[in-house]
Amino acid sequence: MKIPKLLQALLVLVVVYVAFKIFFNVILGQLIPSSLLTMYMFFVICGVFMVFTATEEGARELVAPIKALVEDPSKKNIRNIVFIIIPLLIGGYVYQKMVPSFDAPIELRSIHPAPPSSLKAFGKRYDLMTLENPYRKFEKEDPEKFKELVKEGGAVYIKNCQFCHGDKLDGKGPYAAALNPLPLNFQDVGTIAQLQESYLFWRISTGGPGLPKEATPWLSSMPVWQDFLSEDEIWKVILFLYDYTGQSPRSWGESH
Amino acid sequence: MRLVLFMKKYRFILLAVFILTAMVQVFDLPLSETPLAGVQEVMASTEEAPPSAEKAAAPTEEGVDAAAVAYPPAPQLTEADYPQVKGVNGRVFIWLAAQLHLWFAAFVLAVPIFVFIIEAIGMATKNKKYDNMAYEFIKVSLTAYSVTAIFGGLLAFGLIIFYPDFFKYLASIFKESMIAYALIFFAESATLYIYYYGWKWLQGGFRKWVHLSLGLLLNAVGTTLMLLANSWVTFMMSPAGVDPKGAFLGDSWAVIHNFLWNPINLHRVIANIAYGGSVVGAYAAYKFLTSKTSEDRAHYDWMGYNANFIAIGALLPLPFAGYYLTAEIYAYSQQMGITLMGGVFAWLFIIQAVLIGALFLSANYYLWCGMGRSEGAVRYTKYLKYIAIAVVGAFLVWFTPHTLVLTNAELKSLGGPYHKYLGPLGIMPAKNTAVNIMILATFLSFMLYRRCNKVATVSWETSGNAAQVALFTAGIINILILGIYYGYFTNTVYKVAASIPQVCTTLAVIILSTVIDTLMYKGSKEVAPLKWGAVPDRAQYALFLLAVSFTWLMGLMGYVRSGIRQHWHVVDIMRDNSPDAFTPTLGFAANMVSAGTIIFMAIVIFIFWLAEISTKKTA
Amino acid sequence: MKKFFQVVGFSLFAIVAFALFANYGIPKINPAPPPVEEKVDLGAMTIESFIALGDRIFNGKGTCTLCHNAVGGRAPMLDSVAAKAGERVSDARYKGTATDSEGYIYESMVEPSAFVVVGFGKSGTNDTVSPMPNVSTGSIGLSDVELKAVVAYLQDKAGSDVTVEIPTEAPADEEQEEGAERVVAKTAEEVIENYGCTMCHKIAAGEGDMGPDLTKIGAAKSREYLRRAILDPNANIAVGFDPDMMPGDFGDQMAASELELLVKYMADSK
Repeated sequence: MKIPKLLQALLVLVVVYVAFKIFFNVILGQLIPSSLLTMYMFFVICGVFMVFTATEEGARELVAPIKALVEDPSKKNIRNIVFIIIPLLIGGYVYQKMVPSFDAPIELRSIHPAPPSSLKAFGKRYDLMTLENPYRKFEKEDPEKFKELVKEGGAVYIKNCQFCHGDKLDGKGPYAAALNPLPLNFQDVGTIAQLQESYLFWRISTGGPGLPKEATPWLSSMPVWQDFLSEDEIWKVILFLYDYTGQSPRSWGESH
Repeated sequence: MRLVLFMKKYRFILLAVFILTAMVQVFDLPLSETPLAGVQEVMASTEEAPPSAEKAAAPTEEGVDAAAVAYPPAPQLTEADYPQVKGVNGRVFIWLAAQLHLWFAAFVLAVPIFVFIIEAIGMATKNKKYDNMAYEFIKVSLTAYSVTAIFGGLLAFGLIIFYPDFFKYLASIFKESMIAYALIFFAESATLYIYYYGWKWLQGGFRKWVHLSLGLLLNAVGTTLMLLANSWVTFMMSPAGVDPKGAFLGDSWAVIHNFLWNPINLHRVIANIAYGGSVVGAYAAYKFLTSKTSEDRAHYDWMGYNANFIAIGALLPLPFAGYYLTAEIYAYSQQMGITLMGGVFAWLFIIQAVLIGALFLSANYYLWCGMGRSEGAVRYTKYLKYIAIAVVGAFLVWFTPHTLVLTNAELKSLGGPYHKYLGPLGIMPAKNTAVNIMILATFLSFMLYRRCNKVATVSWETSGNAAQVALFTAGIINILILGIYYGYFTNTVYKVAASIPQVCTTLAVIILSTVIDTLMYKGSKEVAPLKWGAVPDRAQYALFLLAVSFTWLMGLMGYVRSGIRQHWHVVDIMRDNSPDAFTPTLGFAANMVSAGTIIFMAIVIFIFWLAEISTKKTA
Repeated sequence: MKKFFQVVGFSLFAIVAFALFANYGIPKINPAPPPVEEKVDLGAMTIESFIALGDRIFNGKGTCTLCHNAVGGRAPMLDSVAAKAGERVSDARYKGTATDSEGYIYESMVEPSAFVVVGFGKSGTNDTVSPMPNVSTGSIGLSDVELKAVVAYLQDKAGSDVTVEIPTEAPADEEQEEGAERVVAKTAEEVIENYGCTMCHKIAAGEGDMGPDLTKIGAAKSREYLRRAILDPNANIAVGFDPDMMPGDFGDQMAASELELLVKYMADSK
């Protein structure tokens, strides 16, 4: 059986649409933005109709069912149904587009902004170019003490951080779903494994408000932890972050 | 035996591999050798010591003395220096007058270029048809000529009313060239009138040669006019021949020959031809739709086809000219370049992408519909869908913005604003790849169209076809590899480096396959006489879309060309302190362009109508 | 006539479609208004507000972030430039005259090619020429006060001590038409005139004899030597003349372009 041209065209469009969705959302794992998909589909529709109407017969076959629908007296019922459905669809689409929402406006954001070279916190000035974790040395010198420090860091984490960053440090804490952008997933190799401990110290002690402008401080809900934790506690919790995730901090020697 | 057959059928694959290797060897050496060193060479060779803004404007030894005695610096204006006329926004007035002047001027200057060529073809082929068509083209442009002058006058008038000090400053610097412009304008009018009204009189033998020479003279004069006007515009963008305070150093040639003059000249000449072709195409389409006899339909179909051919022919190299212009803007001032391609204007290029897509799609569609003129077309219609996939696919890449518009839910799902796979589609290597493929596909459409009605008689036809398929395959693979390699695997600094080998590849494919095609179809048989006029009305609307999109696109790009000066009359030298010095939003600009396009179209339709009634009278 | 209206309708439809897309199909962005030349009240400034002024200039009028940002990679990040100044000025490739971070940052803005960070030079120049313009001239046109504010801002951003002193008052010739913007001489003759070189030197039309004769100086000395002789007069003292005669603050008074005009003039005096 030969498929009518109009159906062919519609099928091609549906296949292309689904293919886009599957290719990006499933195979590549990064969804295709709906604004872009709309424009893509608009031009795909243009392309498909261009191909189908390039020849005179093709064009005639394509519009034949539509012509019949509008003109053929025997198709009165279908006609009436179609003439009701189409305005409804358009109306629904317009409603969808116009209905007010609570979405915040969209901002561009860099996730790991370049840190300053020094930092004012706890009433002191730290040189971030040379700052090191004072407890890191115990990892080799006194493993027992190091273990103890990590454990203390873990306690600090559970009391303060896990609500957002999760008890598995995967960014899926109980509050995470309410936040956008999401809390960082420390298990991911793209986060703390890429950073030096001094960077974490900067990010933890000054929190979201301490971010530079390009990192949209107004979008981060990270508290300014220097108001709640001591310097020691921050260093310990940093030890815990690396220890628990099995990552090691980026070492000195290479600067950005 | 089967193997031999198989080999015969798929020998194009072997050929493709061979050609690809050759291409890589010739064009992409940087890729096959040490990439970075090669790229740097390529980049260094494309930028011939661009003078920076200060250098261009820096006083020369001789100039210093001249400036000290003769010329004042550019005036520093305040808001009070800009007369306000109640109810009229000066900038809007200037904007529309300038844009309409430019549209008509582009049309009026372009038509003689291809009228000259068509007339020469008519002389060479002794085919009266060409001569008649050339005459009809020039007739259309004649009325437009006076409209051009009217809008030119309005523009000058508006500048004197609304921007008197700025106009005075420009006039003081371009004194000679403005006088020359007025004189040449008279020469242009005289030549045009003799050329047009003498058409019937100067026919046959030596007289025709005189007429053709007049056509050449007309083009020479017209181009000179445009080059002079261009220099005023480019002076405002890349001033030269003045000191940092704007005092003229006395060298008139230096101010004309400023840094962006030639890039703009090149871009405008090519764009004018494409534009002129598209407007004449719209004229033919309108006449086609309204003609009553089949002879008329055949004639205007043929005319529309030729106009479209001119438009597409000039459209194909246009992206490269635009690329060259942009590169030169960057070379002149990085700040201006970033203003152009980033920030507010970044989204303008998405609109531009949509319009260029509309141009390419409608040009292709016209060619496909035109295949209906031939009975031999059925052999090729099955390939159209592949061309469509290539054009639309390339267009989607061309259209993908660098900064994606994401809803908050999408932002959350992606984890950030950066898309791993779509992000690289937003930058230059992907765009270059897309535009090259789009050009190749359009060219392929054209080749198929040409072949429609022909049957090759040469013995090596299949080999020739295999060679062409191989050429296209290899070319596209090469372009893709270059695009992907430079788009995804190199540092930002080297991202533009792929463009040159890509352009070379495209040009090589176009030239080589044209040569093969010409040889292959030498002495070919016709399937049946071409049925001129046997084209659906749809195709004519494609021609209209071409003309409308082109007009709109020109208006939009005029806005950005002027907009990158930001709050400067003359960049870095004379600040615009009028209340309208701010950059208007894209939406506002689009509305202005739309209004201008509607006015332009209305006048053009009026001119077409005039051409029609004048024909009726003489008939 | 029907065809006529069809054609007109079709064209209008296309135009309106383009306009709608341009208005609603893309994000709306309001372009920033033209920069306003700020009038600076130096008397009432604290160092914090001076740094804040530098911040505004850095992110606004100075257009620095067009290139010096984390995304584009067109120019080096400046968040630690003050800390790195020390190693830069002792680098073998350094061509400038600064000795401390304040001088280095200031110089990098008016003479960007004095030191080009590896990888950021103009292509083909092997990192000897910077693509950055002199921000004290041209469309950016920062004044001396504004430049100093940027230096203060960058020092603060890097966490170094801010060594810049708030200029107490703008030099007399700066209070011209546009706030703190001073008129920079356009010719070497003007420079010589403005800074009174002829009081002591034989140069241009001047006949002074307290300092060396400079009418043929270009034949004997290099540009580097001449530039240093202006900026740091005591570095080398010509035979027969006394040190500490020439003022040492021309480096502060002159615009970089004036200095270069003067150096070029002298180098060409052969």
